[in-house]
Amino acid sequence: MEMIVEELQRPVVLDASFERRVMVRVRRFHAQNRARRGKLARVAASITHHPAWTAAIAASLVAVTTFGIMNGRLRTPAVSGAAIEPTRFVLVAPTAQSVSVVGDFNNWGLGDSALVATSNHGVWSVTAQVPAGVHRYAFVVNGKDWRADPTAPRSPGDDFGMPSSALVVEEGSK
Amino acid sequence: MSKRTTGGLMAVLAFAGVSLSAGAQDPRMTPKLDNPSKAAVQAIVDSAKAQGVPTDPLLDKVKEGLARGADNAHIVAVVRNLSVELANAQRVLGANASADEIKAGAYALHAGVPAVELGKLKKESGRLRSLANAFTVMADIVSRGVPVGTATNAIRSLVGAGAKDKDINDFQQKVKVDIDQGAPPAAAAETRAKPAPVKPEDRE
Repeated sequence: MEMIVEELQRPVVLDASFERRVMVRVRRFHAQNRARRGKLARVAASITHHPAWTAAIAASLVAVTTFGIMNGRLRTPAVSGAAIEPTRFVLVAPTAQSVSVVGDFNNWGLGDSALVATSNHGVWSVTAQVPAGVHRYAFVVNGKDWRADPTAPRSPGDDFGMPSSALVVEEGSK
Repeated sequence: MSKRTTGGLMAVLAFAGVSLSAGAQDPRMTPKLDNPSKAAVQAIVDSAKAQGVPTDPLLDKVKEGLARGADNAHIVAVVRNLSVELANAQRVLGANASADEIKAGAYALHAGVPAVELGKLKKESGRLRSLANAFTVMADIVSRGVPVGTATNAIRSLVGAGAKDKDINDFQQKVKVDIDQGAPPAAAAETRAKPAPVKPEDRE
């Protein structure tokens, strides 16, 4: 045992050329990076020196932002100030054609804000950014069949004759 | 301006135009409350605000009702009922209760948990412990048929023993599975809330 410890504690003697070889590699890496950065800077300069390009970029940014807002994809969370936690929703529905998640964190899907789940052989899932707090939600199967999450607590509030589930998201819980 | 630059700019503007018209022509119309219902909801919200009751759950309830296709009168009635339950929850939980506790407490009241039980639990658990999850689980097991007294005792013993939210969620899952497998709800909740026996070697 002592022999093994002694062996492990013995300093490793490196080849004399080791340091030189490492430094050659480091210098080569830096040179390549510098060349890449220079190329990018030249492209950026050519764009910033042309007012037409600046206008074009600004217009495209406006267009993309407007498109996102109008389609509800850049919606801000329902609860301001609360920490946002990634939350995964899963529903097993082998025969479903589509599954989405609606709840008080996404305006119950109003205005095209439903979260569309993707299927892995009938196991549908989607991850959403949900503010910390108490929430209610449901799955909508095939666009019309509202279902509670079978793995979550039931929400006993009046849900207009359709089931829903309760979700408590804690800060830093995920 | 060169021909190439002009072409690029026109392409970007054309894209912007398409984006705007795509948004404007969305065939899905967001349903809205009619004016009398809107006024009724506004009055409920104003009254809640004046009492210091959280109003977000009321507005969420309107959206939920609209999304589920409920008629306006039903939505107003549900919002009114919820505002009463929120006010009751706030009253029994006291000034230290968070908006989440009040919201979860209101749903527990809706499930049939007596207000006095929520107040007792809050008083016993202290200021720092959030009971939002405990109230949510309490409401769930009551809705699954666990008698109110059994449910409140179970949650009280768990919270009193220092159970974390994760433990309370585990308890809910186990009670649910037991009931789904045919166990009487009361027996499931009583049994699952019992603390694990102390190992002989851990005894002093």
